[in-house]
Amino acid sequence: MRIELRVNGDMYRREVEPDLTLLSFLRDVLGLTGTKWGCLTGDCGACTVLLDGEPVVACLQLACQVQDREVTTIEGLGTEEGLDEVQAAFVSNGAAQCGFCTPGMIMSVEALLGSNPSPSEAQVRESLSGNLCRCTGYNKIVDAVLQAAQDRQMANDGS
Amino acid sequence: MVDVYVPETLEEAVSFLGLHAGAAIPIAGGTDALIDIRTGRSMPEWLVDLSSVPRLGDVELDGEVLRLGALVRIRAVELDPELGRRATAIVEAARVLGSVQVRTMATVGGNLCHATPSAEMPPSLLVHDAVAEIAGVGGRRSIPLAELFAGPGRTTLGPDELLTSLLARAPASSAGSCYLRQTVRWSMDLAGVGVSASVEVDGTVVTDARVALAAVAPVPLLVEAASEAIVGTNLPPEAAREAGRRAAAACSPISDARGTAGYRREVVSVLVPRALRIAWLRATGAWTQGVPAPVNGMSTGEDL
Ligand code: FES
Ligand code: FES
Repeated sequence: MRIELRVNGDMYRREVEPDLTLLSFLRDVLGLTGTKWGCLTGDCGACTVLLDGEPVVACLQLACQVQDREVTTIEGLGTEEGLDEVQAAFVSNGAAQCGFCTPGMIMSVEALLGSNPSPSEAQVRESLSGNLCRCTGYNKIVDAVLQAAQDRQMANDGS
Repeated sequence: MVDVYVPETLEEAVSFLGLHAGAAIPIAGGTDALIDIRTGRSMPEWLVDLSSVPRLGDVELDGEVLRLGALVRIRAVELDPELGRRATAIVEAARVLGSVQVRTMATVGGNLCHATPSAEMPPSLLVHDAVAEIAGVGGRRSIPLAELFAGPGRTTLGPDELLTSLLARAPASSAGSCYLRQTVRWSMDLAGVGVSASVEVDGTVVTDARVALAAVAPVPLLVEAASEAIVGTNLPPEAAREAGRRAAAACSPISDARGTAGYRREVVSVLVPRALRIAWLRATGAWTQGVPAPVNGMSTGEDL
């Protein structure tokens, strides 16, 4: 099947097998390996990407159903010069240990902050409840998100 | 390898399903369908991608009647403020299903047609008197939602039939509803017990009520005997407890990783009075805690 979609701002046209998942498309066809291959059952959230700004698990999304839509992956965040506020806050708070859950976590956070720029701690925890982390115990991740929200608001107020 | 067919109309969809009966399954959000394929639980030759069929994703409120298209995303239900007021139980069920990611993908129709006994959406739709609208090669038909479920993983839909929408009652006033569930974990878990209740009042007197259960029988159950226990009352605790006892007597739970049959029955007898109480408080306007209410049944205060 022929698909046409935008990933991190770039248009791609590719011929794909009908049962190819968006996860395999991103990793194996486009070589974007930031999106992680975890459980493949929608439980761990390591494969979270944004589809038109909404978080989805790429392992349960058929690539052919992403026709004409916009995908954002971890590679689409930040700039050549530096990390975006969420990425930076994860680093400064020690919110990434082995790092396997981190891209998915950060994409969920981007979705949250996109619709709710100043979330409460409870809202942060709820929006991350589909992202499993085996290392951090979550508290540092929550701290990072709350700080990122503040940093981003300050950056937006300043500009 | 499975192939994908993308119909542009409902007619194309049902005739393809009819033509490939047994070899084609519809796919909406894919959150159940792809897992079933990966684990070998289903081995279709064709997936019929419904995303291009018009109007299946519409939400409409017309007077008291709520129409939910089968392809409405769970996340859209969760975030709809008007539904939060008028179909509170449906929104509360949507709010605890899976994760944000899963809710963004999964659809109302998919949750119903996968027919998992513990599925979140059925009890709440049942207490809102949902009718299932179905299209097939031979035309359209409507059935009470309870008649859609045939058993675990099985519906009464013919091979060429699709659930197209649900018509539910969503009164604007003097009515309230609630969904509570018992789970081991707060999120990413299936209900050990799911309980939904709706109440309509005249002043403080219950004029009509419904109680529905999930995960305690092969199919979601609407328990009329339970609601009958409270009609005509001001919902005194004894009447609510009697409704709970009747609901517990009506279910036939199994023992599994989420609880023993006896435990589940006990939880039903506790959550039914609690759900009725919250629905009644909402109907009478006395519920001051805003919407949605506590989502996990076990975490709601006993003193309600
Ligand atoms: S790999 Fe997709 S949710 Fe785990
Ligand atoms: S940092 Fe290792 S899984 Fe989260």
